[in-house]
Amino acid sequence: MSGFPGISGLFLNEGLLIRQSSKGVYGIGIPDCGLKDSELKKTPADYINKKFVRKNAPGLPEVSEPTVVRHFTRLSSWNMCIDSAFYPLGSCTMKYNPKVNELVGSFGNIRDLHPLTPVRFVQPALKIIYDFNLILCCLTGLNEFSFSPQAGAAGEFTGLKVIKRYFDIKGEKRDIILIPDSAHGTNPASSALAGFTPLEIKTGANGYIEAKEVEKYISKNVAAVMITNPNTLGIFEKDIKKISEIMHKNGSLVYMDGANFNAFIGNVRVSEMGIDLIQLNLHKTFSTPHGGGGPGSGAVGVKGFLSDYLPVPYVSFNNGNYDLSEDKQYTIGRIAPFLCNFGVIIKAYAYILSLGNDNISSVSEIAILNANYIKKKLGEILCGADPFKDKLCMHECVFTDKAIEEEGISTLELAKLLIDYGFHPPTVYFPKNIHGAIMIEPTETESVKTLDEFLNAIYKIMFKTKKSAALKSPRKTKVRRVNEVLANKYPVFKY
Amino acid sequence: MPNFRYFPNSETDIKRLYAILNIRDKKELFKKIIGDIPLIDANNLKVLSRGMDEVSLCRYFSDISSNLPDKNKFSIFAGGGIYNHFVPAAVDSLISRPEFYTPYTPYQPEVSQGTLFALFEFQSMVAEILGMDVVNASMYDGAESLAEAILMSLRLYLNANPDSRSPWQEQQVKNNCPGGEINPHSSHLILASAGVNPHYLSVVRTFVNDIKANVETVKLNEKTGRTNLNDLKLKLKNGVSAVVIQQPNYYGVIEDIDELEPVIHGFNPKPFFIVSSTEPFSFGVINPPGYYNADIFAGEGNSFGNHMNFGGPLLGIFGAKSVYVRQMPGRIVGKTKDAKNKDAYTFILATREQHIRRGAATSNICTNNSLNAVRAAIYLSLCSKRGFKELSFLNLKLAHILHEKLLKTGLFEERFSGDFFNEFLLRIKNEKITVLRFIDVMADRGILAGIRVAENEILISTTENNNIDNIERYVENAKDILGSNLI
Amino acid sequence: MKAEGQFYFSKTHEWISKETGDTFYLGISDFAQSELGDIVYIVLPEAGRVYKKGEKIGEIESVKSVSEIYAPVTLKVISVNTNLNEKSELINTHPYNSGYIARVSVLNLSDISGLMDKNTYESFVTS
Repeated sequence: MSGFPGISGLFLNEGLLIRQSSKGVYGIGIPDCGLKDSELKKTPADYINKKFVRKNAPGLPEVSEPTVVRHFTRLSSWNMCIDSAFYPLGSCTMKYNPKVNELVGSFGNIRDLHPLTPVRFVQPALKIIYDFNLILCCLTGLNEFSFSPQAGAAGEFTGLKVIKRYFDIKGEKRDIILIPDSAHGTNPASSALAGFTPLEIKTGANGYIEAKEVEKYISKNVAAVMITNPNTLGIFEKDIKKISEIMHKNGSLVYMDGANFNAFIGNVRVSEMGIDLIQLNLHKTFSTPHGGGGPGSGAVGVKGFLSDYLPVPYVSFNNGNYDLSEDKQYTIGRIAPFLCNFGVIIKAYAYILSLGNDNISSVSEIAILNANYIKKKLGEILCGADPFKDKLCMHECVFTDKAIEEEGISTLELAKLLIDYGFHPPTVYFPKNIHGAIMIEPTETESVKTLDEFLNAIYKIMFKTKKSAALKSPRKTKVRRVNEVLANKYPVFKY
Repeated sequence: MPNFRYFPNSETDIKRLYAILNIRDKKELFKKIIGDIPLIDANNLKVLSRGMDEVSLCRYFSDISSNLPDKNKFSIFAGGGIYNHFVPAAVDSLISRPEFYTPYTPYQPEVSQGTLFALFEFQSMVAEILGMDVVNASMYDGAESLAEAILMSLRLYLNANPDSRSPWQEQQVKNNCPGGEINPHSSHLILASAGVNPHYLSVVRTFVNDIKANVETVKLNEKTGRTNLNDLKLKLKNGVSAVVIQQPNYYGVIEDIDELEPVIHGFNPKPFFIVSSTEPFSFGVINPPGYYNADIFAGEGNSFGNHMNFGGPLLGIFGAKSVYVRQMPGRIVGKTKDAKNKDAYTFILATREQHIRRGAATSNICTNNSLNAVRAAIYLSLCSKRGFKELSFLNLKLAHILHEKLLKTGLFEERFSGDFFNEFLLRIKNEKITVLRFIDVMADRGILAGIRVAENEILISTTENNNIDNIERYVENAKDILGSNLI
Repeated sequence: MKAEGQFYFSKTHEWISKETGDTFYLGISDFAQSELGDIVYIVLPEAGRVYKKGEKIGEIESVKSVSEIYAPVTLKVISVNTNLNEKSELINTHPYNSGYIARVSVLNLSDISGLMDKNTYESFVTS
């Protein structure tokens, strides 16, 4: 595998910290806070009723700071990450996370700001939220964003609650949300959580939902369609304007799952497609790090007629002052205990300021070019596996397992084999309507050279790999193939 | 096409890509994909300025930072769900490793052992602190965690009490059993102590009001500030699926759960007992939820190594008895073996989750607050057994010292008599000065004095970040402001 | 398990096979178990309960999927195979005997005529 990033290296082994304990050792400085000796000598029962006092201290590890630092440094070396490798997870938008965003997010006065500090003292923080709202409105063509939702699924839930409340206030009883079969699982789950019944609609042969398919399900019970655009096949929903017209004619709303907004940013406003609501995953399109599973931020934007339904609190601006306000007539209430995931939003804001109006449209343009390059080149390697061969995709592309199956390799094995070449696998077995799906999203922050290396690795896997090797992959990782059956059959949750 | 520092493709590369795809330019590219939907006119992006270089960007945010209260000079005595704990340098240093903060969710366990291992240690340590069987790999924050706990209790209650189902509900349970879709057409009742954080209750109401569940509050004892046992007994009735108690409660008071728990679990049909907390640091000194038979714990873990971040991201903690694990929301890491029989870690019981069970999932949550959980794992490891206990006790001590000193001024009176951990509620005697005014003037003097609870009631908390000097300064300034009628 | 008669299959991949009288064993087919992969968890039907034909009686989980088990005929559950709680892999290794799911009484024997015999079922799954 010469020429590829994946080589064998030295892994340092490391066990659980609890097994490295020495009695009485600890790794944190405990201040005396200027207490007097008499106060230092007291026990908890001197202050509170002893029936409340915990007798045995929690059995945490007993380790020093150097032990902890070495431990977690070693653990970190067992992770593949966007900073170390190409990470083409489809529908996850694993783009580069700029370092300067981390820096500005870590400025002490920003990071250590208490959310209940009187607003007079936090004007600059509130201004960021206020200004970012204007920017997101400009980029989407919608009229107001709420920053309450903590991640994408919370954004969906918020949007759906807005829809629910909108119809409640109108006095209409509408229970159904139409959701394409290629949708992310959070869509039906969020719908159910908001008290709706999700109804699945079928993707057409061309990879998008056809207006006539939507028409079949239209009734006065339909509250909204929830449509990911471009969808998880990387295909633009071509009938979106027609679908919006059908929905609006029926008195229904159009919710767009904006998880794939990286395909539009700076070039297309979703308002042009008749969208009423959207959630934007700031941890995808707006470059904030995914953190190995979060935190995120799922800002929800709406058209003006839905503004009054958004969550509270929100940032208002009057007479030169920013304030936290709750005066939204039909608000769905609170989604989060405080204003927003400020620590995430500030990084997203820094990203947009860095791009500015002169660079922002290049993001989606290059993302689309890179994805189509993969689509075309990989289509030549994986013969017959591109379900939408003659079409252009947007920010990502998807293949079936047809070609690799013919070589005796499953999608799972392809994923594991790619690891040994030094690449993170694509999203696999999703969406469900593509057999053995392999979904690739390169983003705009990868070079053609990297894409060529990746393509070359798949070529080698296709034509130079023995079945026996496939079964044993990955071979160069800290652990070999993980036994998930054992993990689930006899679950162990803690040490 | 301009060059930009985050784009590795050169202008030549881009031209080549267009040539390979046989497309002329951006206009044609989009036209072929999106048809006649208009593109954004660059002149119509005026709300954005030109792209900032790194120097300008740093200056921009430095300005913002310097116009906020100086963290090194501002003493924070406000809690109310977020506490100003010290974050050791080792936590910030380790969490700044890109290997932790730049991967995606660990769906490919072989290349994600670092995160999975750290989350497993997080689950284990937090389970130990709470005394609970199972803790998941994090939720968003304490409020969302509590809302999900209530939804979980509704599912468990319906499964445990088939008789309480309406015929329609029976049909639903049959169709969806036992994955746990909650019937949106029935009415459920949840009892929550008035000592639960009011913002949490607002979030809970947002979650449950479209599934026809009602939240009723149980009064506090006016004198002690603990949940009123008689009011609880009065309100417990058939159909109450859960009782929620916060420990210590919103007013800082330590609840006497030994007294409450038998009443809750003694009622038939049995409600689920949910304990919440915004300050699980307290469990270094006081008895944790697992010791008094809590069925579910749902609270906030931000105190464990996380910055206050102006209120987010935080760290939702979710724990339960192991018999209920299949109804739990969120991701769970489990220990297993690899193909060579070595220890390995992976997500388990994923069939509960939205990416598999879709509309019938136990929660819609996908991205959670994993990095905050890893922070907590690092922090708790540094604390170790001794540090956790001592820091917890130090918090309690400092709060009691401040409490005593403030009462001694004669300007405040105790609002509740119940024991407290690191937060307490006082009434300002001087009726001419409202709490808001007091907080405002104190803030001008570099002290965030607390949180307004009522016109003349202030909620005050301390952490190890407040030393005796800060405490003295608080007392002196309070005397000055409240004693002199100078405003 | 002592199944006497032949196996009857439903389109949703459950089988029943006579023990004696109107008592039958119920399980899922070899094809179904192979499609599911390693089974890690099962939710068994409730003993003593009557299920209508087509009604959901339980769930089978592999690592990354959940499948429902349906009543192939209207039936009453006599007993369930509690061995599966500990050894769900029996469904993978012995789908037609020790990996059965429940013993049931078929409440309406004429329901059986709506099921497929083994050959018909095999051509059904290969088509």
